[in-house]
Amino acid sequence: MPPALLSALIRCLLGLTQPDSGHIEINGRPLSKLSHTELARQISYVPQQLAERISFTAMEFISMSRYAYGGGRGAGGGFKQTDEEGLEATEQAIELTGVGHLRHQALSTMSGGERQKVSIAAALAQQTPTLILDEPSAHLDPKQRDIIHDLLAKITREQNISLIVITHDLNWASAEFDRIIGMKAGQTMVDTQADAFMQKQTLMDIFDADWLLHPHPESGRPMVLPSPSQKP
Amino acid sequence: MTDHTKSKLLVALLGITLLCALVTPWLGHILPQWDVIFRPGADDIDAIIFWQIRVPRVLLSLLAGAGLSLGGVVFQALFRNPLATPFTLGVASGASLGVTIAIVSGIHFSLLGLSGTSLAALSGAILSIALVYGIARASGKLSPTTMLLGGVAISFFFSSLILLLQYLSDAGSSFRVLHWLMGDISRASMDSVLQLAPFIISGVLIVSLLHRELNLLSITDDMAASRGVNVDRSRQLLFFAVSLMVAGIITVCGPIGFVGIMAPHICRLIIGSNHRFLIPASLLFGATFLTLCDTLARNISSAAEVPVGIITAILGGPFFLWLLLRKNRSLP
Repeated sequence: MPPALLSALIRCLLGLTQPDSGHIEINGRPLSKLSHTELARQISYVPQQLAERISFTAMEFISMSRYAYGGGRGAGGGFKQTDEEGLEATEQAIELTGVGHLRHQALSTMSGGERQKVSIAAALAQQTPTLILDEPSAHLDPKQRDIIHDLLAKITREQNISLIVITHDLNWASAEFDRIIGMKAGQTMVDTQADAFMQKQTLMDIFDADWLLHPHPESGRPMVLPSPSQKP
Repeated sequence: MTDHTKSKLLVALLGITLLCALVTPWLGHILPQWDVIFRPGADDIDAIIFWQIRVPRVLLSLLAGAGLSLGGVVFQALFRNPLATPFTLGVASGASLGVTIAIVSGIHFSLLGLSGTSLAALSGAILSIALVYGIARASGKLSPTTMLLGGVAISFFFSSLILLLQYLSDAGSSFRVLHWLMGDISRASMDSVLQLAPFIISGVLIVSLLHRELNLLSITDDMAASRGVNVDRSRQLLFFAVSLMVAGIITVCGPIGFVGIMAPHICRLIIGSNHRFLIPASLLFGATFLTLCDTLARNISSAAEVPVGIITAILGGPFFLWLLLRKNRSLP
């Protein structure tokens, strides 16, 4: 699916755009009935990549995600710190993601992987039951990608949080996630368990590509391999 | 830099601003006797120069400098563009067009203590604010890009009308327009200070209340929305608060350039991008900077005053180059 459609989907979920048709419900409540802050306590969002120009420190950036709880205020603006619970949530998120040493470092001076961890920490500090991640590892090198994937696995293991991830990494998606929705040109093609998704015919339907499926040598899970015949 | 250090830095900056406000009224070709300070209403020459000319002028430059600097901070964050200034959205060119029409047509009138030129500037500024807002609204949500492009387009259009009017008018009017366009605080009076104060106070108040929204909006709209910010309403509030504040400044002082772009960048380099600290820092820095520039403007030549807009622009040119040449990691 083209990136524009994916970001439209995310913008709908964040309440930034109204869907042309259909409606969105969150925990049984229509999205349009939720206020901006109510929605921010239901869903948090990790963008594909934080822009390099952002010069906030990790701590500043993470505490900003307490906005929906009235947090992130401070003495300089003439307000009192009102969000004691927020400090705790922030510290917990920092510990879980292991970004404590980056606390006072500007985001603009971090590596892509570090920035992504801080971004995830900020979303966790928002204390929502659902976390949406847009291609969380697509721009990272393989090592950083593994670190982010492990972190996300740890989050689902240790926290009671559902992850909704938009990804093109089929092997990762099928290995880590319970439910996969395959989309093509804005239409849902399949909505199924990970195992059922990794079928030659399903992949053919969505991607028009004839890939090989091969079991992983250790886990035995099917992995997508490019067909040698398609290589130039 | 920790928050504690930043707070200390703000206190130091406040000290510098106060010092500047206390010292600058004494500076000039005539050095008033120190005891004029006890004679605010007196009609001797020292007291008149001190209380009726220099003190209002310093107060006005403090207010205008603070307002322009804050306007730059907000627009640079809101449009996520380091080149944005308080004038980028056409407020200055709208006001300038109003003044040009008033001067060239030769209409003289006044209303509620405001001169014809001031009223023309205010109407022009408000017209341009309404136009930019209308254009942005017509294209749906208030997208930063549409607002920026709309503002720039309107600026160019109004500027060309100003050139046309100047070309068609006589030399006297043309010079008066040119002089107004440079920005000038020399016409300051206690009345103009009191006229401008409500614009600045309300602008500063609204922006300060929205400093958390401004932080998030300076990242991306999506990010701000996902954290719970009502993006559209916040942007609308900030746009109107800053635009009206800047309209007030232009009405009283003319379009003084470069304060609104230099002061925010210098403050950001020193104190960081967190608007909780950046807002007060830029208010203080802008106030001090413009007051010092104006003190320079009225003392640099013994023959005649130089409009302060020329001083800020002369300092602004090299600053732009420096800004371009350095690494831009601290920009918003």
